[in-house]
Amino acid sequence: MASNRTFTSPALTFELVARCPVTRARASILTLPHGAVNLPIFMPVATQASLKGLTPEQLEATGCRLCLNNTYHLGLKPGQEVLDAVGGAHKLQGWNHNILTDSGGFQMVSLLKLANITEEGVRFLSPHDGSPMLLTPEHSMSLQNSIGSDIMMQLDDVLVTTSPDKARMREAMERSVRWLDRCIAAHKNPDTQNLFCIIQGGLDLDMRRECCREMLARNTPGIAIGGLSGGEAKDDFCKVVAACTELLPDLKPRYVMGIGYPEDLVVSVALGADMFDCVWPTRTARFGNAITKHGMLNMKREMYAADFGPIEEGCGCPCCRPTEEEGAMGITRAFVHHNAAKETVAAHLLTLHNVWYQLDLMRQARQAIIEDRFPAFVKGFFGNLYPDRNSYPTWAVDALRGVGIDLIQT
Amino acid sequence: MTVDNQNLESGAMRFEVIKAALKGGAAARLGRLAFARRLPIDTPNYMGVTSRGALPHLTPDNVSKHLETTGAYMALEDFIERPQQYAKRTPPIYETPTTTKHNTRLHSFTALPQSVTTVLSARRLPAVASPMGNTNASVSVFTSTGFQVLTTKEYLSAVKTLTPDIAIPPADLTHSPITPNSKRALRMAERTDEWVVDWFSELSDSNNPRISTFAPVLPVSYSIQWEYISRLAEDYLPTSQLSGLAIYDADLLPDLAEHCAALVPLPRLSLADPPTPHHILRQITLGIDLFALPFINTISDAGLALSFTFPPPTTTNTSSVSESSSSCTGGPSPLAIDLSLPAHATSLLPLTPNCTCYACTSHHRAYIHHLLSAREMLGWTLLQIHNHAIMSAFFAGVRSMLAQGVAQEGNFDEAVRRFTLAYEPEFPEGVGQRPRARGYQYKSVGGGEGRRNKPAWSKLDGKAQDEEDGRIEA
Repeated sequence: MASNRTFTSPALTFELVARCPVTRARASILTLPHGAVNLPIFMPVATQASLKGLTPEQLEATGCRLCLNNTYHLGLKPGQEVLDAVGGAHKLQGWNHNILTDSGGFQMVSLLKLANITEEGVRFLSPHDGSPMLLTPEHSMSLQNSIGSDIMMQLDDVLVTTSPDKARMREAMERSVRWLDRCIAAHKNPDTQNLFCIIQGGLDLDMRRECCREMLARNTPGIAIGGLSGGEAKDDFCKVVAACTELLPDLKPRYVMGIGYPEDLVVSVALGADMFDCVWPTRTARFGNAITKHGMLNMKREMYAADFGPIEEGCGCPCCRPTEEEGAMGITRAFVHHNAAKETVAAHLLTLHNVWYQLDLMRQARQAIIEDRFPAFVKGFFGNLYPDRNSYPTWAVDALRGVGIDLIQT
Repeated sequence: MTVDNQNLESGAMRFEVIKAALKGGAAARLGRLAFARRLPIDTPNYMGVTSRGALPHLTPDNVSKHLETTGAYMALEDFIERPQQYAKRTPPIYETPTTTKHNTRLHSFTALPQSVTTVLSARRLPAVASPMGNTNASVSVFTSTGFQVLTTKEYLSAVKTLTPDIAIPPADLTHSPITPNSKRALRMAERTDEWVVDWFSELSDSNNPRISTFAPVLPVSYSIQWEYISRLAEDYLPTSQLSGLAIYDADLLPDLAEHCAALVPLPRLSLADPPTPHHILRQITLGIDLFALPFINTISDAGLALSFTFPPPTTTNTSSVSESSSSCTGGPSPLAIDLSLPAHATSLLPLTPNCTCYACTSHHRAYIHHLLSAREMLGWTLLQIHNHAIMSAFFAGVRSMLAQGVAQEGNFDEAVRRFTLAYEPEFPEGVGQRPRARGYQYKSVGGGEGRRNKPAWSKLDGKAQDEEDGRIEA
């Protein structure tokens, strides 16, 4: 089934295109039921089957071919009955490319006060009417089958990584493994939908490794590293990713959940991860923030009121690209400033820009891996982001040193 | 038959009446309004109303791709706020550089597609009434940082700087639903008269051939403003300084045609905020050529999809029975459908049958229902695209009926009568929640209006919010 460069499973083909000889970075092609996507990839989050004001057509034009929906939210609105009647989330939102759904498990962390986790599943109070609800692995699978996502995530027992309770952490990790078995058993469409496992284990690397082995034994078509981006220190995060990727098979996609800051993406790619998602780029857009290669700019600041340049010079998004080019809008910082937090249009424009930036960053990383210049790309990226080498974050320098890139030395 | 040209020599604006009723003055007419470097506007037609330089919820790429709208109404008060710490700053829009793609500062600042004709007025449409009132040399405007004074001089200089295609001189309006008493009405006419005289003397000595002035016709009786209107006809029409009329009350058109026939060939822009298509048709029959239509934005925000066509579908022709709900049962059809209603939750139908807009061809009612229920901004975007498409089609239908009228006088009037019978008189209210209202759009009068939308967040242990109380009645 698996050749040297290609892995095939019923609903997915993974083809390794190139690897960075220095770091663990890889470029690959992941073919899903709704078409091929190039990895590494950033997946924007269309929580409620809509990418925050962008039409599916606008999202498609950014080059996005795989976006997220949240099972928890779609289960509440429009609800499983509607999803079944409409024929799934692709049909609901008019999106003919791929969709990945989470399990609804992450909302346990954010709603932990309301949730009570037992072996059976997660009990929580409906935010709609306060009635008690139970999310089991079987129910999560059933919902994701109704959504029809190309990649489904198992229900896992998520705990904030910073939790000091080792026993609870172990319980969560082992329960996640047991729940994966229940998910596999409950998954109705293994030929058309991929189910990914999620590696848990907090910041304890041995527990993570143990979880990797258990999860890999279940042979899911893809593997996610979960429970991160919950407030842990960045070097702990990097250690966990590095410890996991070391054990993971070459020919399966590796998804680090909830990662979105540009530095995190670039470092995680170097550590051998392929897929990322985060609401931050689109959320921060609605707060008036633009992501650029020189860092984040808050368009609400008065300094941009009469700045008639593009949001980011040299950016190829429809807002910023030179006005002579096809599809260019000629948006200025001044116009975004003028309407930020006032008209929804400003949020849409920054969302468009930020999503483009994130996708383009991964496109550039991929190109660099293929052209065998990934270490130089990483150095260039950090060079743009920080005024000088002394201000590089220590966690990034250390993590990259671990995979053969020395940011400080030229 | 009747063809009139304006400003042919300057090439700034050209208006042709292609077809007007034989009986003369105040009647529906077919025309074409063209500005250099803009798409020509076949009239009767409408323009979208912008908020802070944007058609609400529509990014400029969506405007170019999915809207046929050829005009945009803009208000200077949307651009001249004075943030507290930067009270002395020059409004940034005055300093915008123009580009080859955006040849006026107004287009350039707002990234509005170059093909779209712009109208600039001092105030939003509809405007929030100011408690301060106007003075002899200024109007009171409402910006995102509060009420401020806009002198007629500053407004004129803004117009020169921004070079809109159509500029509306300042008018002394009350922006109140209450009809002004005769003393106030007289002062409105006198002030507007003075301001317009200043306007033309200032604008004539500058090199602004591109700006076409549409002089305001006030919402007061003709007898009160006849002096002002006669001056327009006698002093500024022959010099070609006056290019059109901005009509705040379409019912004045018969008087205008009767007493001031010289003004008849001018294009007439309605700023009278017609609340429904019935009102639009009535104003068309009175001779309005172009409309600024604020209700499109309000309707989209209310979660409504316009569902009327002009001419209305013929009920006798059973072979093409439309899917619209009540056409067969005999009752009038609704002017819009409320996408917030649960009936649409699983409907894969387009918003209206046969509509070719992006929202109808790529999406369905179930999605828009979901977006509204989840308060996702895309819902309003798609409704805007649809509602603009319906209005464009409506006006295309009006023009086609008027064109047929050449052969068969009365065709159009007959279609208007059938339209009145075929559709309900008013829009449904729309049960959905609206987008968050912003300070510059709305001013509480005396307080106590209540909340239209439920609070998004509340205390965990708090009792369930009394949801129904959250909305404004009326």
